[in-house]
Amino acid sequence: MGRQAATSKQITHRLSRAPAKGPTVFIEKQRSAMRLVALSREAVAQNLEHGLTLADARARVPNLVAMERDMVADADWLERLADFCDRYTPLVALDEEDGLIMDITGCAHLFGGEAALREDLAQRLTHAGMTLVSALAGTPDAARAIARFGGGAIVPAGNEPDAAAPLSVDALDMGHETARALSRAGLATLGDLASRPRTPLAARFGQALPTKLARLLGEDDISITPRRPLPPCTVERRFGEPIGREEDVMATLAHLMGEAGSMLEARGEGGRAFELSLFRTDGAVRRLRVETSLALRQAGPIVRLFQDRIDTLADPLDPGFGYDLIRLAVLVSAPFEQPQVSLDGHQAALADIAALIDRLTTRLGREAVLRFVASDTHIPERAVYMVPAKDYEDARKAQGDDGENKSWPAPLPGDPPSRPIHLFEHPQPIEAVAEIPDGPPLKFRWRRVLHEVARAEGPERIAPEWWQQDTPLPTRDYYRVEDADGRRFWLFREGLYQRETNQPSWFVHGVFA
Amino acid sequence: MTDTPTYAELATTTNFSFLRGASQPGDLVTQALILGHQGIGIADRNSVAGTARAYRALKELRTSEDEAVRAQAEAFQLVVGARLVFADGTPDILAYPETKEGWGRLCRLLTLGKRRAEKGDCILTRQDLIKHARGLLLILMPDDDVVALEDALTMLTKTVSDTLWLGTSMGRKGKDRRHLLTLKDCAERHGVPLLATNDVLYHGPEQRPLQDVVTCIREGVTLEMAGTLLEANAERHLKAPEEMARLFKDAPEALAEIETILTRIDFTLDQLAYTYPDEPIPPGRTAQSWLEELVWKHAPYRYYDTGVPEKVKQLLRDELKLIDELDYAPYFLTIHDIVRVANDKGILCQGRGSAANSAVCYVLGITAVDPAEHDLLFARFISSERKEPPDIDVDFEHERREEIIQHIYERYGRDRAGIAATVISYRPRSALREVGKVMGLTEDVTARMAGTVWGSFGTEVYNKHIRQAGLDPDNPVIKRVLDLAHQIMGFPRHLSQHVGGFVLTRGRLDELVPVGNAAMDNRTFIEWDKDDIDALGLMKVDVLGLGMLSCIRKGLDLLRNHEGIDYALADVPQEDQEVYGMLQKGDSIGVFQVESRAQMNMLPRLRPKAFYDLVIQVAIVRPGPIQGDMVHPYLRRRNGEEGVDFPSPAPPHDPNELRSVLGRTLGVPLFQEQAMKIAMVAAEFSDEEANGLRRAMATFRHVGTIHMFEQKMVERMVARGYEREFAERCFNQIKGFGEYGFPESHAASFAKLVYISSWIKHYHPAIFACSLLNAQPMGFYAPAQIVRDAREHGVTVLPADINHSRWDNTLERAEEGALALRLGFRQIDGIHEDWAKDLTDERDLGYDSVEDLWRRAHLPHRALKLLADSDAFRSVGLDRRDALWAVRRLPDDEPLPLFEAAQRHELSPEPAANLPSMHLAEHVVADYQTTRLSLKEHPMTLLRPGFDAEQVLTCQQVNEARDGLWVRTAGVVLIRQRPGKGNAIFITLEDETSVVNIVLWASKLESFRPVVMASKLMLACGHVQRSKEGVIHLMATSLADRTDRLANLSNLHTAPASLARADEVIRPILSRGDSVKGGLVKEPRTISTRPSALRTSEARHPRNVRIIPKSRDFH
Repeated sequence: MGRQAATSKQITHRLSRAPAKGPTVFIEKQRSAMRLVALSREAVAQNLEHGLTLADARARVPNLVAMERDMVADADWLERLADFCDRYTPLVALDEEDGLIMDITGCAHLFGGEAALREDLAQRLTHAGMTLVSALAGTPDAARAIARFGGGAIVPAGNEPDAAAPLSVDALDMGHETARALSRAGLATLGDLASRPRTPLAARFGQALPTKLARLLGEDDISITPRRPLPPCTVERRFGEPIGREEDVMATLAHLMGEAGSMLEARGEGGRAFELSLFRTDGAVRRLRVETSLALRQAGPIVRLFQDRIDTLADPLDPGFGYDLIRLAVLVSAPFEQPQVSLDGHQAALADIAALIDRLTTRLGREAVLRFVASDTHIPERAVYMVPAKDYEDARKAQGDDGENKSWPAPLPGDPPSRPIHLFEHPQPIEAVAEIPDGPPLKFRWRRVLHEVARAEGPERIAPEWWQQDTPLPTRDYYRVEDADGRRFWLFREGLYQRETNQPSWFVHGVFA
Repeated sequence: MTDTPTYAELATTTNFSFLRGASQPGDLVTQALILGHQGIGIADRNSVAGTARAYRALKELRTSEDEAVRAQAEAFQLVVGARLVFADGTPDILAYPETKEGWGRLCRLLTLGKRRAEKGDCILTRQDLIKHARGLLLILMPDDDVVALEDALTMLTKTVSDTLWLGTSMGRKGKDRRHLLTLKDCAERHGVPLLATNDVLYHGPEQRPLQDVVTCIREGVTLEMAGTLLEANAERHLKAPEEMARLFKDAPEALAEIETILTRIDFTLDQLAYTYPDEPIPPGRTAQSWLEELVWKHAPYRYYDTGVPEKVKQLLRDELKLIDELDYAPYFLTIHDIVRVANDKGILCQGRGSAANSAVCYVLGITAVDPAEHDLLFARFISSERKEPPDIDVDFEHERREEIIQHIYERYGRDRAGIAATVISYRPRSALREVGKVMGLTEDVTARMAGTVWGSFGTEVYNKHIRQAGLDPDNPVIKRVLDLAHQIMGFPRHLSQHVGGFVLTRGRLDELVPVGNAAMDNRTFIEWDKDDIDALGLMKVDVLGLGMLSCIRKGLDLLRNHEGIDYALADVPQEDQEVYGMLQKGDSIGVFQVESRAQMNMLPRLRPKAFYDLVIQVAIVRPGPIQGDMVHPYLRRRNGEEGVDFPSPAPPHDPNELRSVLGRTLGVPLFQEQAMKIAMVAAEFSDEEANGLRRAMATFRHVGTIHMFEQKMVERMVARGYEREFAERCFNQIKGFGEYGFPESHAASFAKLVYISSWIKHYHPAIFACSLLNAQPMGFYAPAQIVRDAREHGVTVLPADINHSRWDNTLERAEEGALALRLGFRQIDGIHEDWAKDLTDERDLGYDSVEDLWRRAHLPHRALKLLADSDAFRSVGLDRRDALWAVRRLPDDEPLPLFEAAQRHELSPEPAANLPSMHLAEHVVADYQTTRLSLKEHPMTLLRPGFDAEQVLTCQQVNEARDGLWVRTAGVVLIRQRPGKGNAIFITLEDETSVVNIVLWASKLESFRPVVMASKLMLACGHVQRSKEGVIHLMATSLADRTDRLANLSNLHTAPASLARADEVIRPILSRGDSVKGGLVKEPRTISTRPSALRTSEARHPRNVRIIPKSRDFH
């Protein structure tokens, strides 16, 4: 029988980020009302409880600080905790939103025994601002029940029935209806159930109840499903004599990548995310990751990406007394596509760009390689913004996009372009003569050159996004104009005559080709 | 285009194009007048709902005191139509009827589109329009799609030639002039004139933010994300004629066409003159002669024992004469017809409203208020100047009202009968929530802001409350949200059906107004609400449901079946002093109207001795008299502590001018009509002004125009020599009536039901409780309180049992001859009526075991579980635990066919489970969970030993304690209220002996807030305060939450979730008003209350601990 540990945590970590004064709760919309889903100690002390609506809670505690629950962040945090717990055992499973189950069979002695392991875990988590409730028992169900419903304990082997007996029947986790029916029958604890013949129970509550009961009592065992499957491919090399020089590391990496590459090839796959783990003799682990846009399996590019990565590390590798284990894991694999050559070279160009983005991003960092994206707004200068190119590529791939940027509206057939090819980042002031109130400019002076307007169309009136500013900005009247020499400009008058100002000012915002 | 150009905007979208237009129809009309437009065309998306509002606004302007405004409004031309939006890609088309026939066709077209769509939607195609196009002037409003435009023009010019225009607008979109040229070319090719519009969405450019906000609400996006869904600029407002002329200087002919259209339109809403349906009149008779015949034929039957008194004869003659003058006979006949059908079907009903308390109505059986006994003059309620249809609302048993509604549809046909609409508007809460969402605030913040609004009828959101909620009102975003929310308040959100207002016509209703589907099956409703209907002078009949009538009918049936007494409403013995005696004690649980805490406190003060006292009792505990501070003067005068005098004006005015108005109420105005009459007599309001005031009163909550009248009325009264203070009180009262007016005629009809329900309660308490329970949900009290009250009145109450109960609660004759109440299965949460029917159908001589019931009645598993859990197997010797254990063993509901036969065999023996026996306390808790009441014990009895040790007094002891004594008491929390001004919190506690009323001053609230808001079982300490009428309050100095005691009652680890039981949520309107310590306060709002599911082991589950829902008052 293995030994199982279950932990459950209270979500307190995000409190530190919020300017929380007074009782704090996290809320979520459930059944059409905002309800409390997690409470700080102070909030619990005010008799608030899980599931209460925010309105009711506020009625009781007006100074309640409420924050919307961020499921993604919570899940992320739990994943990080699970990562952290990898140090105790590779078999870690997530349990609901706030618990972990670990199979520590055969691991405890590494930490000086079960109690020491539990103590170590408790200390580290407490240090990280967590509240830990944990239990160790012979089966995952028993451990979980004792942690969640019994306050936690180390149950000596074989003592599960005694440890579980005082738990409420809620610990069966078979739904409110069953728990209520058992209570009605006067069967309040697992002990009440354990001491009775099981056939009548099965006849009334289904076979699931005796089965579950047996697991809780440690009579029956199942194994947990670890939270993530082992990486598709892991290769490692152990060294009797630790190595420390970077060249050695890179050579090892190239070697490992060669091995991994043939494993991937056998499966017809390539890797898209790689992790290099450098285990120091003193127990510290350094992990480096690279990702690629296309599935790859040749050693060369991967080693080059890792080299770039190592070269640009903010804190360089410190081998200490050397590494005794180097592991390369392919975290994400995907079918390896033989590039198809299309006639117009579009695919190849895209692939080239993707490769370039990979390299630049790996070298310079995500935030340093940007690209333009269209934004849906009337305000010309805000109709475009920049995002990390890698993010954009990833999102595009995820959506199966063909790479065209569709967001800019095309003019109607036969219409001239409504926006200039070159938009100035800052509109440049000009002097212009125009008819009041909103006639087109007749002539204007830009950079000391006087332009006679030969033709003009407009105005295209664009009002500011009133919700953006505290004081309203003036409205703009845009004109497409062509001067006597055939040069085309995009001008605007700022401020509606008499409605907003008596002295509208003029700017040039861009030039047409 | 010489000196002053003329212009009228014909493409106007109001906010009745929901979440598209950003101005009220009235604002658009007013703005158009200000800009000097010649007229305006109102055309909303597939709707004419906004047209009546525009019509009302113009009508009001035409009565302006300002000569110039009046003249301009007279000349102003309001043309009404709709913007047809098609489902087949056709561009929008504005349709304006040229004539009344055209209007009829437009309405039929819209009806067609609405009837084939879901509620609120309208599906139209181009073909539909072509079929209905005659008499309609059509303006095609092209979008950017040139192909669709060409297509539509080609198609339309084939069928409609000289009634089609091509609309265009200069929206400042950059290529306006180019676009105009394209359209001009297009128009010429198709021979269709171009028409200038501005495709208006709001009346002024300052409305743009609001328009953006409603667009975002419509599209479900935030402003941040809305992007090009929003308009690029603020140009779609009404513009001055000069500006329009300038914009269209390339196409002056497009402006000239406006004039053409205006001249061609010969239709106004005034032409929708109403014609009464003539069904109830036999062929060859006039309505008046038939009404007279009916009246004189029925009168002797109404007074069969005494003969028609001379006074009544005279009354009838006078009334008939007035009815003849005003031509109201068809209306009375229609009501009579509906009431007659109800009588035939055995459905109890009663009329109320201004015309209801006439002798004619009494004689025709429309009301039970006898004009011979009660001095209620019909003429007082009907003013001959007011050329408006009389007002009779008819209340029917709520359970059977649908039969009447379907009868009306059947009799008049769906094309001639329709329910009026109710315009659902943005209220402070919804406005804040939606605007906040659009502005990107989180739900938490919007909830907090919305929580600052007390109640939902106010129109002001106070900074103070915002600050209390921990938000900064000066923060620009918060400020903007508040500002915009304030602007959007009163905007219509959607139309819904009125609760029972019917419009009946002689001709086709769908040619008068579009008719659409309601959300309910078999219901259709029109696009106008009751104010619109009033303004257009249409006839409306209100068919309302009243729970108490169901209750009384059930009571009268039981009386007939069990006691052999056969009474109709009018037969119940009148003016029985024993009945009044009961009311004087405040013993009124379950009695119609006077059962609320506030009414119960008032009863011993008012001490009703006669019918008219009940009329006053009903009307006095109301926001109007309370806000006007009229209650105490009345009570003092009634008790002889203060002389009766009448406020007088200074000479030369008649010092007794108010005597006739206020004589019946001892010089204190209590009823709505009195306040109106004061405005007319003492402030010399003209009929027009009084009408305006009345309208302002009716719409006060929405529009807030009443303040215009405040100064006028108060100043005129002061000028005529009245005391300012009296004048202000009168006006405050009118404002109060605006919220919940109570005219004397309504009060009289209600008082009748008060008396009848009191009579049944006093003489037949078991029947009363039984019928009240069977009419649930209704009234103020939960079943637990009704049962408790019955037991206190000596009624034996028996538990629900599989061998004795039926679905309904029933009466059994006990040995000593008294009637005992047997609870029915309807008292068990979750039991369906058809299960109960199966059970009783198969019962025969009774069931002898769980298995027997299961085999014979074929009940589903769930039903058996619920029966067992509610302890209904006692007659077969099983308590709930044993019964549940047995039920659970039964096989599942739908066995595989193969096993079906096998299951018919006896269940095999099994090892004994030796379940522990169930304690009384556990049973009590379970009783509350399943039936919300326990006949076994009050939970407090079980807790009493513990409380005794703490020297906690019973509620009974508190109620008997001397004034000023400091006491401790505890009980289950029944009701929490915080009345309007919020000075005090009222809490009602109940224990096994009685109830006690706690008052907690607001200053103490902060210290005890969690206790007040969360306790199910509360301990209160404080001083006893005893008023001279014997009303007792406990003035609390401290409170403690003892809910954990309830939890300890059973070995379950949770408390019976909601013993707290209350009431007002069910009928909030009827429960306004509460009083304390000589200081009457207005309009209490419920804090606690709502029956909740009681599931112990789920009690942690939010659904089951919702004992304090909607406690917004405290935020």
